[in-house]
Amino acid sequence: MILIIGGAYQGKLDYAKSAFNISDEDVFICNGGEIDFSKRCIYKIEEFTYGHPNPIGYFQTHREEWQNSILILQDIFCGVVPMGAENRAWRQNTGRLAQYLSKEATQVSRIFCGLEQRLK
Amino acid sequence: MTYFISGGAKNGKSTLAQDLTVALAKGGKHYYVATMISTGEEDDDRIRRHIADRDGMGFETVECSKNVMSCLEVADKDGTFLVDSATALLQNALFPVEKNYEMDMEAAHRCADELIRFAKTVRHAVIVSDYIYSDAERYSESTEMYRKCLADIDRRLAAVCDAVIEVSAGQLTIHKGDLCI
Repeated sequence: MILIIGGAYQGKLDYAKSAFNISDEDVFICNGGEIDFSKRCIYKIEEFTYGHPNPIGYFQTHREEWQNSILILQDIFCGVVPMGAENRAWRQNTGRLAQYLSKEATQVSRIFCGLEQRLK
Repeated sequence: MTYFISGGAKNGKSTLAQDLTVALAKGGKHYYVATMISTGEEDDDRIRRHIADRDGMGFETVECSKNVMSCLEVADKDGTFLVDSATALLQNALFPVEKNYEMDMEAAHRCADELIRFAKTVRHAVIVSDYIYSDAERYSESTEMYRKCLADIDRRLAAVCDAVIEVSAGQLTIHKGDLCI
């Protein structure tokens, strides 16, 4: 599995498309419900984690299904602690999920202003 | 030689940018492109602090809160330019004070195009931006548009500049090119 992280609008999906020859049909865009792991690339995982009580548990349950995937996650956990409890939980759960996925990944890349920084 | 510098607030971007500009100028003309429009006491303080920081470094100040290419009407394009910051230029274009801060997307696109053209036109430039993309917050539509427009500028500048540097707590990550000083 390849994990791509980075801030909003930094070019994470563009990087995935050019580095791994992915087209729009290969991309599942998370929206809060179930993730379709049959797609090669799972995008906006931070939308899946928003309001989800246990994102790591969900990924553990489906572990076999994303072993060869490209997972894209916005690093929403770098900013100030939000005022709202819901956003605080979102921030923490997303950060923890990033750690879990990063351990599992064979490659971790951070995208900064369109440029790749290899973290693992 | 062109540099693009970004990172968090008060992490040392401006200090690095000033040092880089002076080093690139090698004793030649170097300009500080003053982009900020003061909106009150807090901004006045910040501007005063930046002026004091630059004291004795030999900068010529060019006031330019919009249309960055207009700098070249008064400054020599073969000089070295410090633009601090893309963030302020975009803010002045996207939310113009004279239009009561009403969002102006056309001006934002012009601002982006001019910055890229500027980086390609002048001999040496150091352009500073702000990294504002990693929050757990659902922003208003206009704030989100601001982040999107700035990210577009950042990515285009990162693509055309010779070097791209991220500053975190005064430490540098070089994403592209060399530091050269």
